[in-house]
Amino acid sequence: MFLARVTGSVVATQKVPNMTGRKLLLVEPLRLNPANPRELVGTGRTFVCIDTLGAGVGELVLIVQGSSARMTPECEKLPVDASIIGIVDRVVVQGMTVFSASS
Amino acid sequence: MRIAQVIGQITLSRPHPTLTSGRFLIAMPISLRALSTTMQPDGEEIIVWDDLGAGLTCWIGVSEGVEATMPFRPDRKPIDAYCACLLDHLYLDEQATREVLS
Amino acid sequence: MQLARIVGHAVSHIYHPSLRGWRLLIAQPLDKNQRPDGEPLLVIDQLGASIGSLVILSNDGQGARELVRDPNSPVRWFVLGLPD
Repeated sequence: MFLARVTGSVVATQKVPNMTGRKLLLVEPLRLNPANPRELVGTGRTFVCIDTLGAGVGELVLIVQGSSARMTPECEKLPVDASIIGIVDRVVVQGMTVFSASS
Repeated sequence: MRIAQVIGQITLSRPHPTLTSGRFLIAMPISLRALSTTMQPDGEEIIVWDDLGAGLTCWIGVSEGVEATMPFRPDRKPIDAYCACLLDHLYLDEQATREVLS
Repeated sequence: MQLARIVGHAVSHIYHPSLRGWRLLIAQPLDKNQRPDGEPLLVIDQLGASIGSLVILSNDGQGARELVRDPNSPVRWFVLGLPD
């Protein structure tokens, strides 16, 4: 899994039939700064993910990739390869809080 | 399984309902070169599901891909990295390592 | 499948139950020039690969689960063969 920031949403009127009504979000994966692992930085990459938890733009989320993305009752039958599985509250690295949703 | 060191942890305010019994670790994989010299993990960090109780600085074996979900069958858990073992001791053969790295 | 060199082993006392009794070897996958390709892997082995051996690795999870006789095993990488 990896951490990502929700940067937007995607609307597609034309999509495969069983994706109708599914919420798709754009996310940017984050990583720890190799020069300073106590800082989360953007990677500049972007993914489209299915969201079943109600994540919003700006929130930090946890993403699962590959066929594991279908391992939920909601996504079992959907042709998706990336899914939001949690809204992040806190990230602690080497005992230091590098992200907290409340601050 | 890749070899990785636990460097942190994340907590979720809203986890998927299937993800309530374990913890999410931040683990950093290590190359053979680093393993044979500095022991400082130098890979790209991954978030790993743990129910074995790995602590900070612990070395672990990480099972990735859909295999990470197998321990929970027939239940379904949306995870792609699972802490399959805590490593007490890593032994590298000097000659074999040197041959691969030279 | 991938070629790899066995460079060591790991010892674990807390592990998924399907790993009981299996030695965990450290295998370094190799590129076409026999240089490291990616990070080293923990693999299981039924063929008796020794330290320094060149091996063929498989990452077929189904095959690994059959090898450890546990359909719930998270194991994925195992030694498939020892090239002559």
